[in-house]
Amino acid sequence: MVDLMGKKKYFFILSAVIIIAGIVALFVNGLQLDISFQGGTVMDIPLDSTQINQIYKGQTADQVKNSIITDAEKITSDTVNKIATAQLSNTYNSKNTTQTLQVLTVKIADKQGSLNDADLANLSTALKAKFKFTQNPSISNVSPSIGSELLKSGVLALVLSSLCIVIYIWIRFRIMSGPSAGVMAVLAMIHDALIMLAVYTIFKLPVNEAFIAAVLTILGYSMNDTIIIYDRIRENSKLLRKTNISELVNKSIIQTLNRSINTVVTVLICLLSILGFSMYYNIVSIKDFILPLIVGIISGCYSSIFIASPLWVLWKESQAKKKIRSKPVKA
Amino acid sequence: MNGKNVAKFASIVIIIAILTYIAYFGQIFGIRIPGANDIVRGIDVDGGIQATLTGVKTDGSAPNGDELDSARQIIVRRLDGKGITDKSVTIDKAKKRIIVEIPNAGNKVTDPNATIRDAIQTAMVRFYEVDNTKRDSAGNPERIGDPFAQGEDITGARYSVDQSGQPAVSLTLGKAAGNRFADITSKIAKDSSKGISIYLDETCVETAGVEETIMSGEAEIHGGGMTASYASNLAATIRAGSLPFKLQTLSVNQISPQLGRNALDVILMAGFLAIILVWIFMLLYYRLPGLLANIALLAHTVLQILFLSWTRLTNLTLPGIAGVILTIGMGVDANIIIFERIKEELRNGKTLRAAIDVGFKRAFTAVLDANMTTLITAIFLWFFGTDTIKGFAYTLGLGVILSFLTAVFISRLLLQSISGLNFAKHHWLYGVKTVAEVKKNG
Repeated sequence: MVDLMGKKKYFFILSAVIIIAGIVALFVNGLQLDISFQGGTVMDIPLDSTQINQIYKGQTADQVKNSIITDAEKITSDTVNKIATAQLSNTYNSKNTTQTLQVLTVKIADKQGSLNDADLANLSTALKAKFKFTQNPSISNVSPSIGSELLKSGVLALVLSSLCIVIYIWIRFRIMSGPSAGVMAVLAMIHDALIMLAVYTIFKLPVNEAFIAAVLTILGYSMNDTIIIYDRIRENSKLLRKTNISELVNKSIIQTLNRSINTVVTVLICLLSILGFSMYYNIVSIKDFILPLIVGIISGCYSSIFIASPLWVLWKESQAKKKIRSKPVKA
Repeated sequence: MNGKNVAKFASIVIIIAILTYIAYFGQIFGIRIPGANDIVRGIDVDGGIQATLTGVKTDGSAPNGDELDSARQIIVRRLDGKGITDKSVTIDKAKKRIIVEIPNAGNKVTDPNATIRDAIQTAMVRFYEVDNTKRDSAGNPERIGDPFAQGEDITGARYSVDQSGQPAVSLTLGKAAGNRFADITSKIAKDSSKGISIYLDETCVETAGVEETIMSGEAEIHGGGMTASYASNLAATIRAGSLPFKLQTLSVNQISPQLGRNALDVILMAGFLAIILVWIFMLLYYRLPGLLANIALLAHTVLQILFLSWTRLTNLTLPGIAGVILTIGMGVDANIIIFERIKEELRNGKTLRAAIDVGFKRAFTAVLDANMTTLITAIFLWFFGTDTIKGFAYTLGLGVILSFLTAVFISRLLLQSISGLNFAKHHWLYGVKTVAEVKKNG
C-alpha cells in the first residue's frame, strides 16, 4: 500500500507555496475587480460582416481588425472623453452556424466610473453610426456605488454560508469523529478558498459575482470528499483497534480513493465540456463562471485527501504524545 | 420472483421514458404538458434590459416610498404607451430604488437603452384651459395659452369618492396656482364649450368640464363613469407628474438577443456532450450498476427540466443551465459511493443481495451529509445573488435534492429488481473479478 501519510510534508509544502504566491501576488498585483464590482461600462457589439466589408473596402483582414479597434477607441474618447479598450473576438453564430460572428467589445473601466444616461446613449449612437450594426448590442453600465454594494453582499453571503457550513459540520462531526475532525474539515475549506483566490491574484483574473458564487459552491461541495473519508476512518477505527492512527487514515484514504477520484472525474467531465465550448466560441460570461469551479473542484479533492486527513493525523498523534507524557506513573 | 422483478424494472423505465418524452416534446398523446421549451428564460438568454434606478431630490435627499410608487406608475404608463406589455417594474423599498426589466421576448424593442431613457425622464404634469369646440392634431380639445398649473404647483392628488359615492380624484393646488385656478373656473364655469385638460408630458390624460368656481384650490375630478382603479391610477399619474425629483440609472444591463441565443446554443451543446461522456464513463467503469445509474441520471435531468418548466420560481439563466450540467456530474456521486461500497462487499465475499443492501445502507448517511453542505450554499446564493446567480442557486439546490432522490431511491429500486434476475448474478457485471474465497473473520 502506498504510504501517503509519510509524504504529508510534501503535500503541505505544495499547498503552502501556492497560497503564499497568491498572497504575494495580492500585494503586488492587487485584487482585480470586474466592472460589476468596481463600476464601469462594457459593450459587446455583434458586427454585421457585410456592413464591415463595405465600410473598410479594400483593406486586408488584419487591417480591417486594426481599423475597427482604433476607430472604436477613438469614437469613445471623442464622444464621452474616456479611455476605452476595444477588442475583437469570434463567437458562435446561432443564425448561421457555418460562419462565426465577429463581436466588438468596448470596455471603459479602471475607476473612470460609469457613463451617465446621456453619455451612454450618445456613445451607442456614435458606434452604431460608424459600424452600422443591425443587432442590438449587449451593454453593461454599472455605477461604482452599486458595484461596491454588490461586492459587499457577495462577501456577506460568503461569510454567512461558511459559518452555516461550519455549524453543520460541527454538529455532524461531534457525533461522528469528534470536533477535531470538524476543525480540520474547516481548515481544508479555508485552504480551497485561498487556492481559488491565489489562482485569481497570480493570473490577474478579474473577480466578479460568478467567482464568489463559484467559491461558495466549492465550499459546500468539497466538504463531500472530506466527509466520506472521515466517515471511513470512523468505521475502520472500530474494526482495526490495534492499528496506529497514521496507518488507519492511510488505509481509509486508499479504500475511498477510487470514489474520490471518480466523483471528481464526472464533475470535471461536465465542467471541462462547458469550458471547452465556451473558450472555443469566446462566451466570456460562461467561461468566467466555469473556470473558478474547475480550480475549486481540483483543490477540494486535493485538500480532502492530502490536507484534511494528514492534518488530523498530526493532531491525533500530538494528543497521543501528550497523553503518554501526562500519564501518572504507577508505582 | 422473476416476473415481479421484471414488471417493477420495466414500469420504472417506462415512467422515465414517458417523462423524457414530455420534457422533450411538451405534449403526450396530443395533451399539452409544459416541457423544456416552456421554461421561462432569463434576459441573459433571450435578450432584454434590466435597469436599476434611483431618485435624487432637488435638495439631494432620497425620495420616500409614496414618491417612488408614483414614479413607478409613470414608468409603467410610459412603457405601456410604447406598446411594451411584458415588463416588470418593481420597487426596492429598503434601498429606495426602482428596478425595470424588459425581456426581449414578447416585446419589439429596437433600442432598449433609449426606451429606458425615455421612460425615466422627469415627468411634467400640466393643467390647461381648453376649447372643446376645436381639436388639435392629436384629436384632443385645443389648448388655450400656457398651462395655469404645472409640476410642483400640484401639491396633492389622491383617490376619493364624490357625494354620490362614485370614484373620484381630489386635487390640491398651491396658493399661486390655486388663485389662477379660481380665475379660470369663475370664467368658464357652466360653459360646456370650455374645459380643463390634464397633460402628462405631451399626452392628454384627462379632460374635464368645470361645474363651479373653485376658490379654495381644492378640486375634484369625478363622473364620466370612472372606475376605482382608473381614479387611483389617474391620481398616481398626477402625483408622479409633480415629483420634485429626477430619476437616474445606477446600472443598466442590456443583453443582445443574438449573443444570448449564441451562448444558449453553446452551453446546450456542452451539456449534451457532458451527459454523454458521463454515461460512457459510468457504463465502462461500473458496468451493470453503471447502466442503471445512467437511467437514474436521465431521470434526474428530465425531472429538473420539468420542475423548471412547471414551478416557474425563477427564470432560467446561463449560470442556471451551468448548474443543471454541474449537478449531472455531482448527481452520480451518490451512485459512485454506493457502487464502490457494493464492489468492496462483493470482494469480501458477501452475496449480491447482501452487498447491495449494505452498499445502500452504509452510504446513505455519507451521501446525506455531502448533499446538505451543498444545499446550504445554494440557499445562501438564492438569498444574496442577483437574478442570474439566483438561476444557478435554484438549479444547484434542486439538482442536489433530485439527485438524492434518483441516485438513492430510483437506482436502488432498479438494482434490487434486476439483481433478482439470473443473468444479472455474474459478478463481472459489477466490475468484480473474483469472489474472495475466505470470508472475513471466518
